[in-house]
Amino acid sequence: MASREMTMAEALRDAMRLAMRDDPHVFLLGEDIGIPGGFGGGFTVTLGLSEEFGHERVMDTPISEIAIVGAAVGAAMVGMRPIAEMQYGDFVFCAMDQVINQAAKMRYMSNGQVSVPMVLRLPVGATRRGAQHAQSTEAYFMHTPGLKVVCPSNPYDAKGLLLAAIWDDDPVVFLEHKLLYGGKGGRKEKTSLDPVALVPEEAYTLPLGSLAIRREGTDITILANMLMVHRAMQAAVELEQLGVSAEVIDVRCLAPLDWDALIASLRKTNRALIVEEDNLTGGWGAEVAARLGEMAFDHLDAPIRRIAAPDVPAPTAPVLEQAYLPQVEHIVRVAREMVRG
Amino acid sequence: MIFDVVMPALGATGGDVTIQEWLVEPGQRVEAGMPLVVVETDKATVEVEAFRAGYVRELLAKPGDAVAIGAVVARLTDQPPADVGAAAGGVSERRSPAKASTSSARLDVEASAERRGEPKSSAEASTPDQHADQRIEMSSSLLLTMFRQMVLIRRFEDHLYQLFLQGLVPGTLHQSQGQEAIAVGVCAALRRDDVIFSTHRPVAHVIAKGGSVKAIAAELWGKATGCAGGKGGQMHLTDVAVGVMPTNAIVGANVPIAAGAALGFKLMRTDRVAVSFFGDGAVNTGALHEGINLAAVKDAPVIFVCENNQYAASTHISHNLRVATIAERAKAYGIPGHTVDGMDVVAVFESARAAVARARRGAGPTLLEYTCYRYMGHSRGDPGNYRDREELANWRSRDPIPRCRTQLIHDYGQDERALDAIEAECQAEVEAAVAFAMSSPDPSPAEALQNAYTAWPEVRHGQP
Repeated sequence: MASREMTMAEALRDAMRLAMRDDPHVFLLGEDIGIPGGFGGGFTVTLGLSEEFGHERVMDTPISEIAIVGAAVGAAMVGMRPIAEMQYGDFVFCAMDQVINQAAKMRYMSNGQVSVPMVLRLPVGATRRGAQHAQSTEAYFMHTPGLKVVCPSNPYDAKGLLLAAIWDDDPVVFLEHKLLYGGKGGRKEKTSLDPVALVPEEAYTLPLGSLAIRREGTDITILANMLMVHRAMQAAVELEQLGVSAEVIDVRCLAPLDWDALIASLRKTNRALIVEEDNLTGGWGAEVAARLGEMAFDHLDAPIRRIAAPDVPAPTAPVLEQAYLPQVEHIVRVAREMVRG
Repeated sequence: MIFDVVMPALGATGGDVTIQEWLVEPGQRVEAGMPLVVVETDKATVEVEAFRAGYVRELLAKPGDAVAIGAVVARLTDQPPADVGAAAGGVSERRSPAKASTSSARLDVEASAERRGEPKSSAEASTPDQHADQRIEMSSSLLLTMFRQMVLIRRFEDHLYQLFLQGLVPGTLHQSQGQEAIAVGVCAALRRDDVIFSTHRPVAHVIAKGGSVKAIAAELWGKATGCAGGKGGQMHLTDVAVGVMPTNAIVGANVPIAAGAALGFKLMRTDRVAVSFFGDGAVNTGALHEGINLAAVKDAPVIFVCENNQYAASTHISHNLRVATIAERAKAYGIPGHTVDGMDVVAVFESARAAVARARRGAGPTLLEYTCYRYMGHSRGDPGNYRDREELANWRSRDPIPRCRTQLIHDYGQDERALDAIEAECQAEVEAAVAFAMSSPDPSPAEALQNAYTAWPEVRHGQP
């Protein structure tokens, strides 16, 4: 199977292109996504798609987040497969009623007479833009029955999970970290990681609800998603030099969440450290820690710990942002404490 | 037969209410809907109405008594009293309840009615100009169908209200007596494969679009046979087979959703259309603004139907709007907007038909404002004391159903007895539907976990 190197933005674009070729019901809507001479949304993900599919299917909208999500809900209920984009994930709060009260509840309230096969793409993560362009919002959606929540960390997962999300019959909130996109030129983020990976050119899906073990280990399980997976992997390398064998699990799907896979890892390592970019209180790690405490207490040799952003909004200045976000050295320090006791 | 009059939960947040004054006396003949007693709740002074016609057999509480919600306060009988002479004179004059607190609101209402120049006759209401000369000759069969639907809705809503007064309706109740012509006239202009998006006050829309009265009733009673198996309730009715999408209890929220359904129809190259029903209360929401504008700039085949019943819950429209009509907001979106008499089913049908035709041919959305009045309170337990009794009487005098009936007799030569038979059929259908609902089985408790998702590897129970 032919593969080529892709950034995450390219892999996401490739997924949407293949889905749109495959099924005329797939269409995109969002701000600044289909403008000739434009920039393909905030992070270039939709660049070039309007040239192939036209402006009806790559639908540029007014700055109207309620209408973007609402229109996606309505179109999905009559048989379309819309992919709606918020320019920044933070803007979804303008449209929360449409996500929480509408998209998530239509199937249940109608007792299964309608479904809402839509994807809502949210660029997330702190990128020196300040508190209203920085949030990782997965916990809000993970809390809401009716939604599925996906948060990939690399181009291969991004393509396979986005295609799975598009073909899924339930609403999927799809989080994309801004420092992982791999934007080019003026759209490149200053502090970005921009992972590049060999990605199959054809269509493939990864199961929604699946996890990925990024690195096997025996002393501690580190759970992370999106950008934090990369920091956890770097920490694992440093920990190895310190004699600590860390297993790193990429929690790339938060709802559904593969609890069995997490428990299997804990049986082996007996320790769990959760690393998240979201604020500590009520973040996804809080739910994971609570569930693991209920389900896997007998396998634990140490209290479950969490490393998260503190309970303040995201600051803007580089030095403040660095202090705010979980860093590799935090992960190394806490993991060592947990293993050494 | 003897019928108990129980104290309904009118305007009360619980606790007792105090009997202030009886408006009837033993032996007196009463009609359904006639006020029986004035009571004081923790919120307001309200009247309790008779849920059926009959004769007052006995009064079981006296002024000053505190009575609990659900307590029997009087008994009615269908037998005239032995001493007919004592009840001679029959129905007493309707008496106004004490309502000192409503006087300022009434002034505002009057000022607003003057400013807005309504309600007036339908002749003054504009019809879509480009189609004014295309008024079709209304066929008698269509008008009869619309008459029957309006009667069916009214009988159902009235029956529900009577049952509510007896404490027999289990959930919430948002009624639309007085607004039937809009639901019926608009839906008569639609095809079965067109879709409607309704509100927390959906019963009329769902019936008008072809939804089953039995399934609606059963949903109100939370039964397995309900149109949503008991998961929806009164505010969330769905019947996708006839184009009723899940009705929405967030004010204004269905507007962008309907726009999206219409965009879907357009992208699928069909000529189906979507309708968003909403009230005057929705017109100041952001969702409505964003949804209409998106539909406008994309020429989405959607019709925005505003039922302007004058009140957003208890707040008169004059408090919420600086423009004279809602329809003129359409200018801001660059789409046609028309204010039409919503008490005239023919005017509603014709205006809706033109807007639907426009949408089908790809010319984009229309905003239709139908002036009307909600005879009942906002929801169960709202006696509507913020409204003026004369205002209500004035609107009731323009009721769409007798108006349609007169038209059928005078302009279409329909037989009065045939129309009476239709009314009797509707009453029987309504009573059968409620009986079906009440006798239907409850959903199985395990159903609570079903249908949150189409597929999910593990159901989240809260406990692993």
